[in-house]
Amino acid sequence: MMERDGQDTIIATRNLSRTYIMGTMQVPALKRVTLNIRRAEFAAIMGKSGSGKSTLLHQLGLLDTPTEGEITIDGVEISGLSESERTRFRLEKFGYVFQEYAILPELTALENVYLPAMALGLSRDECARSGMDALEKVGLAERADHRPREMSGGEQQRVAIARALINEPKILFADEPTANLDNASSKQILELFRALNRDTGQTILMVTHELEDADTVDRVIWLADGEVVAREG
Amino acid sequence: MTSTTSELKVSAFLAYKSIAKGNKGTTLLTILIMALAFVNLMFMSSLFTGMIDASENQVIETLYSNIVIEPKDDETYIMNPDSILKKVDSVPGVLGTSAQYVTASTITYEEKSGAWAVRSANPDDEIMVSSVHEMMIAGDYLSKYDRGEIIIGKEVAGGHGGSLEHLSLGGVVVGDTVEVAFKNGVKREYRVKGIFDTNFIQSNQLAYITEKEMESVLGTSDMASQILVKTKGKGGEDKYVEQFIMLGVHEDVKTWSVYAGIIAMITQSFDAINTLISVIGFFVAGITTFIVIYVSTVSKRRQMGILRAIGIKESIIVRSYVFQAIFYALCGCVSGLIVMFAILVPYYTTHPLIFPMGDVTLVIEQKNTITRGLGLISAAMIAGFIPSWRAVRETILDAIWGD
Repeated sequence: MMERDGQDTIIATRNLSRTYIMGTMQVPALKRVTLNIRRAEFAAIMGKSGSGKSTLLHQLGLLDTPTEGEITIDGVEISGLSESERTRFRLEKFGYVFQEYAILPELTALENVYLPAMALGLSRDECARSGMDALEKVGLAERADHRPREMSGGEQQRVAIARALINEPKILFADEPTANLDNASSKQILELFRALNRDTGQTILMVTHELEDADTVDRVIWLADGEVVAREG
Repeated sequence: MTSTTSELKVSAFLAYKSIAKGNKGTTLLTILIMALAFVNLMFMSSLFTGMIDASENQVIETLYSNIVIEPKDDETYIMNPDSILKKVDSVPGVLGTSAQYVTASTITYEEKSGAWAVRSANPDDEIMVSSVHEMMIAGDYLSKYDRGEIIIGKEVAGGHGGSLEHLSLGGVVVGDTVEVAFKNGVKREYRVKGIFDTNFIQSNQLAYITEKEMESVLGTSDMASQILVKTKGKGGEDKYVEQFIMLGVHEDVKTWSVYAGIIAMITQSFDAINTLISVIGFFVAGITTFIVIYVSTVSKRRQMGILRAIGIKESIIVRSYVFQAIFYALCGCVSGLIVMFAILVPYYTTHPLIFPMGDVTLVIEQKNTITRGLGLISAAMIAGFIPSWRAVRETILDAIWGD
């Protein structure tokens, strides 16, 4: 499939490489990856373990810095951003869902969700309102005052999704979000992503190793040995 | 809302949640250690302040009162002291005055003798400026018309466990007769009417006879070696000195502090010890906070990485740990103050410590409290900042997925 440039491209990379230095060895994790992700697209990055899929997600999510190449997100060339601008960029434009239930144990579900909104400068009332809206989207409004230890793994992951959505991100990054969940919860999470993408046009880029997840997404980017080997969808 | 305000709000929110929903035992233990560090800082400084205060009070109560009027440099005596007393007594706030003769003497009892100062006193006036009359440990204080009688300090008498026992008369008791050789060559025998113990080594080396007795020895009349002036409170003497001079007192007018050279030396030594102890106390508090925050940052390493990943600024995270450190330090200060004011100060007021300069209680000064409180909080802030700042130096990926 041809890569499509233009206004509907939200992520574009060109010759993106990431090489890790391990002692005296150089280990290339990504090799000159060039790809585009369209707005409102639900894409999956798939590949074997060690293929570089998480590394690619970390570069695109600005959690790591590439060794070479360019990333343009929402029209902004990322290499020109300072560390604090990258932090602000992540806060304003990105939402993250990690494999582990990455929510704070001291906070309630609602507080976990509205934390990024607080950091954006919203008032406590606005935060609470937006937080409840986000929790409703993931079907957990009634669990707003519960702390993580009082929730199941699937519920915690949905809280993490609500947190990722609170600032209405341009892109939602998900790094194997169902890896630690049972089948029922995994299905629920994927359906939630699908609904978000379908109903709100949320751009979602998800790393997964579950082959059946390929049926849920618009497109699969296959990686092997740090290179894009196929684009399906 | 400005970005700084909202960042501070997020930091405070994270700090509050971490303390409120974190491990209560750790929080209480940290506060306890901070409170002990603060009590340690406060106790030593209060004790030293108490010792200095006791020394100053002794100088005022048993040696020089608040203000001393002395003859001008080229004169031996103040002439016509009554006219000066009249002027001084007219100043509001002056509680009493006493004109004294002071002369050097050698006092002998049996085979022992020593050199001590003898002061004269008009007992009616003297009790207004001095507390010696309240500190008789044997016999009685002088009466206005006593002749041939003397009262002596315990360091002169000996036998009362004084610090200078080897220089004393070796155990004179009330009723014994001592011979006094005055500086002008006159020798007289006196019956010891009383022995006093002021708990202050300097004033315990004095002897007193009545004014009339001294005038008969010196062959003087209507003169004085010095006039002691008791004023209301301690610390405002300079304004009285100004008023005395304005009223036409042309003699040499000095406050008690001029005579308190020994206290200046004590203060200097105490300040040095106090500084050393304070520095150690700040280190203890700082290291405690450092360990607590360090352990917290290590256990929350992944959590800090996730916060950074979702766009929470590093400064917000670091500040949340600094806020926690401030909380621990503030709670430690408040708890420490409660221990000081509710337990230690009342205890040492009823059970004062016995020192050569007198009975010492704990004296808490506002300035000292604020300085030490701010010092403790500053130490905690630095100790809270360092481990959290180091923790956010790590890359996000290492923080979340590192070993």
